[in-house]
Amino acid sequence: MLLPELFAMLSSDMFLLLSLLTCLLEDRFPKAVPYVYQIAAIMGFGHLVVSRIFLTVFDEYMRFWYNLFYLAVALANVVAVNLYLAVSKKRWTLAKVWSSAVTFPTVFISIMLVYNYAYLQGAAFPTLMLNLLVALVVVILGISLTVFLSPKLLEKVRRG
Amino acid sequence: MKIANIKMTKWTKFLILLLASLLVATANAAIFYSLTMQPQVSVSTPVLKFSTAPDEPSGSTVNDAWCRLTAKSYPNATLTYEQAVYINNTDDSNAHSFMLKHISITPTNGTSAVGNWTSIKFLVYDSSGYVFSLNYTVSGTDWILEPSSGETSHYSVPQSAGWWIRLETLSPAAATTGNDCGIQIEVDVLE
Repeated sequence: MLLPELFAMLSSDMFLLLSLLTCLLEDRFPKAVPYVYQIAAIMGFGHLVVSRIFLTVFDEYMRFWYNLFYLAVALANVVAVNLYLAVSKKRWTLAKVWSSAVTFPTVFISIMLVYNYAYLQGAAFPTLMLNLLVALVVVILGISLTVFLSPKLLEKVRRG
Repeated sequence: MKIANIKMTKWTKFLILLLASLLVATANAAIFYSLTMQPQVSVSTPVLKFSTAPDEPSGSTVNDAWCRLTAKSYPNATLTYEQAVYINNTDDSNAHSFMLKHISITPTNGTSAVGNWTSIKFLVYDSSGYVFSLNYTVSGTDWILEPSSGETSHYSVPQSAGWWIRLETLSPAAATTGNDCGIQIEVDVLE
């Protein structure tokens, strides 16, 4: 049986990963960022402790939503760091590496786990959400293929 | 000297963060593991439960989850306890199935004392009649079970319905008084 707390544990590990990576790339991020992410990871630990203490009080529906919210925050941070590197710091190569090595795997694994959890619990996600996700993936794939086939296009877009 | 003034190299910071990360990740995993290993066992009354019936053998004990029937057996005459014990479905909204399953019997096969009985039958009835049974008959010094597997099929007791067990015993004319037979039967309920 898949517990919703798995999302909290996964999210906490994501924050730890962000903390270590932002420490390694310290010249590109504000100095406090790695420590902020450590605190965010400890908050995930707090999530798990609260779930454990109030396991019999909180029903699974409630636990699922607050763990999913924490996962969404973690994923938003992963994407935000990616965008920060690409847009604010203009580190395109680093942003691309980050996208393929961090953003894509974490988002993919998270979506897979959430859907697997919903499937095991017999819950149905709205079809609209699934359609939007497929559309998003197709758009990202299209942009990636375009950039891959003609790298100069990206330069042209940047110059405006 | 202020802590803020302490100069740390990038790798020192990384090492500190790495150790802290390992600590947090291990604590997370430990808490998660304890969550997965936290079964809840609630005490509740059985859905199908025994209750006393009009023809319960004297000296019997009947509780919700188990019962002990102390029946007699007469030589050359069938003794019938029409309604020895009730099996009631206490669920108002769902039917529940159960079966009778042989666990043990004494005297055991091969002992001459077995010859003091001809048959001991546990027949299950509902309001419309016979449903199924678990029978013990004697052949020489051996008990023959019917069904031979020692367990019946599962039968569904409708919601709020009361079924009962009819107990029939028979001993041969040459049976000796004072012999006791102990049978242990499991009532396997699908909740």
